[in-house]
Amino acid sequence: MHFLIPPMKRLLHRIWQAVREWCGDSAYERYLTCAAKLDTKQPLSPAEFYVEQTNRRYSRPNRCC
Amino acid sequence: MKSSLKIVLWVGVAVVGAAALAKIALQRGEPIHATWFVVAAVCCYAVAYRFYSAFVAAKLLALDDTRATPAERHGDGRDFVPTNKWILFGHHFAAIAGPGPLVGPTLAAQFGYLPGTLWLIAGAALGGCVQDFVILLCSIRRDGKSLGEMAREEVSKRGGFIAQLAVLAIMIILLGVIALVVVNALKSSPWATFTLAMTIPIALLLGIYLRFVRPGRVLEASIGGVTLVCLAVVAGQWVAESPAWAPVFTLSGVALAFALIAYGLAASALPVWLLLAPRDYLSAFIKAGAIISLAAGILLVRPQVLMPPLTRFVDGSGPVFAGKIFPFCFITIACGAVSGFHSLISSGTTPKMILRESHARMIGYGAMLMESFVGVMAMVAACAMTPGVYFAMNSPPSIVGATPDAAAQTISAWGYPLAAQTMADLAHRVGEQTLWNRAGGAPSLAVGMAQIFSNTIGGERLLSIWYHFAIMFEALFILTVLDAGTRVGRFMVQELAGRLWPPMRRTNWMPGVLLSSAIIVGAWGYFLYQGVIDPLGGINSLWPLFGIANQLLAAVALVVATTILLKMGRLRWIWVTILPTALLVVVTMTASYQKIFSPNPRIGFLSYANALAAQIAAGQISAAKLSDIHRIIFNQRLDAGVTAVLALAILVLLVEAAFQWYAILTKGRAPVLRETPYVATQWVEGD
Repeated sequence: MHFLIPPMKRLLHRIWQAVREWCGDSAYERYLTCAAKLDTKQPLSPAEFYVEQTNRRYSRPNRCC
Repeated sequence: MKSSLKIVLWVGVAVVGAAALAKIALQRGEPIHATWFVVAAVCCYAVAYRFYSAFVAAKLLALDDTRATPAERHGDGRDFVPTNKWILFGHHFAAIAGPGPLVGPTLAAQFGYLPGTLWLIAGAALGGCVQDFVILLCSIRRDGKSLGEMAREEVSKRGGFIAQLAVLAIMIILLGVIALVVVNALKSSPWATFTLAMTIPIALLLGIYLRFVRPGRVLEASIGGVTLVCLAVVAGQWVAESPAWAPVFTLSGVALAFALIAYGLAASALPVWLLLAPRDYLSAFIKAGAIISLAAGILLVRPQVLMPPLTRFVDGSGPVFAGKIFPFCFITIACGAVSGFHSLISSGTTPKMILRESHARMIGYGAMLMESFVGVMAMVAACAMTPGVYFAMNSPPSIVGATPDAAAQTISAWGYPLAAQTMADLAHRVGEQTLWNRAGGAPSLAVGMAQIFSNTIGGERLLSIWYHFAIMFEALFILTVLDAGTRVGRFMVQELAGRLWPPMRRTNWMPGVLLSSAIIVGAWGYFLYQGVIDPLGGINSLWPLFGIANQLLAAVALVVATTILLKMGRLRWIWVTILPTALLVVVTMTASYQKIFSPNPRIGFLSYANALAAQIAAGQISAAKLSDIHRIIFNQRLDAGVTAVLALAILVLLVEAAFQWYAILTKGRAPVLRETPYVATQWVEGD
């Protein structure tokens, strides 16, 4: 049964990452990765990014009837 | 898999689906198992997705995976974020699935289970999914532009303005109507009112945690929040049983309406991280959990559907809302079959996050099929209760009678046996004071869901907890739509007012924020108030108005899509969008005409107003009620005016588009397609 543990761990890890991405938990990490790629001098702090992101997201229709 | 095996498999799926559909369509006289609904829906969706969406993707849209999407070209980690298709499917589904697919089918159950179920399945596969899919692709090819922007660029400036107007109008009517659903679910219910009230401090707590303690850690905060909300549901029972606290949370419809108006104003003007966003996180988690549980519950319990396939109310005399199956079943079930509002989501956030064009098929078409399935489950839950109980909960006293005995007698005379004591017992079992006259769909759906859940876990002992969990779930995510919609509406008002007076456009200028919030809240609050004081229950007038507005918006989206597709030279397959457009135009225009001019006062706004005016003239109205009746007369005329303006606006857009189509087809004008230029993707396959 030991041979099943690594794939199970990988699967659980992927599910965990998917849930984090779905709910927005990993949004800041993605932003940092992107900021590094774009060579952004001063990336936003987690709190600044969170406020900016929620302001943007809720300024357009994002919940339907 | 070998192709012959695939053919056998898909023929099998089609045959099983057809057999299940035949079973639910031809069943007469005896209850039918809910499993048939699930099988019919799943098989139809599978066939529609495998074949029809593939055909639309290949022939009509010609999806191109070599083309870079906006997420690749503009990737900034903020708006333009390349996202895995399954995760984006989850995002998109969470965004489009609101209270509509739950409430609409529940109300349409008054015709019996058959018309609504067939419309949910066929309408989604051939209309709603196509709309979502095509608009999503159009927006992807235009850097995620909104429906209004696409209408302005591809149809005409006037078309863009009409689309914007339609969006604002539907937003106002939608918010008023769903707020009415919440009021009808909470009135005279201290347990439900307490639970929902508690979600406000819980959301504030989450907001502070996410802003100051652990910024952006949505998952852990939401898990904590959901736990607190569940505790609030349990604590609600103690509040309802407490002689001191129960009166505090026992509110009338009018008091609840004003509480919601005040809440909407606060949510729109407060910083978004404090209340709106955390409430949305809570709602998303509870929504996902409740929908999955409902599906599992239906599969495990396999409830009997007790409602007949067709009721006597197909003749248009229904107590929940008046009007015949055509056009009112198509209007009542908007979300779940075809919802114009989805075009705003498909042309907003999603196109900026999609990795490849081919993913639009699963996300645009597939997510709408899922929503349709939610609608079918809501239909099953509503139809699983005794028809007599369903009509008792959804009929206003002006139709069935003011006392329980009179109402039970009327409903029994319709052929749906009911004893007044049955309603008293049911109310006691679910922890409510009364279940009479709770129109709006939410309480009857909650009873249906609670019966399914309690048969899975907890039995009779947990029935009241499940009922209030279901009410909380529906009210919570209605309130999420209410505050998010109010905020978006506020921005629209600010943009429109900013054309006249530029400072209004500044979204951080407090007087402008408060004024525009007051305008939008005042507008939907007015519709809410008129629904609350309407003797016919409000839902009778307002839900069809909302359905008409929503379907008109769908017609706008499909007209824009058709124009774009004609410009792309897809004339041969244009029936894919033209046919649902034609159906929606016929349905909405017929419904608009009947709602305005029908001589039946229960259907026509004007005839209802005239009937009340005649009663005043004949001296049949007491002096004490005179001002209320005058207000109702004004409201009916206002509703007639709103319906007429919306219908006229869409007719103008149709004429504008028809000129465009004529010019394209006769080659009188070279079509100008405003797509972003083709850029080859740099991502290798599998990225």
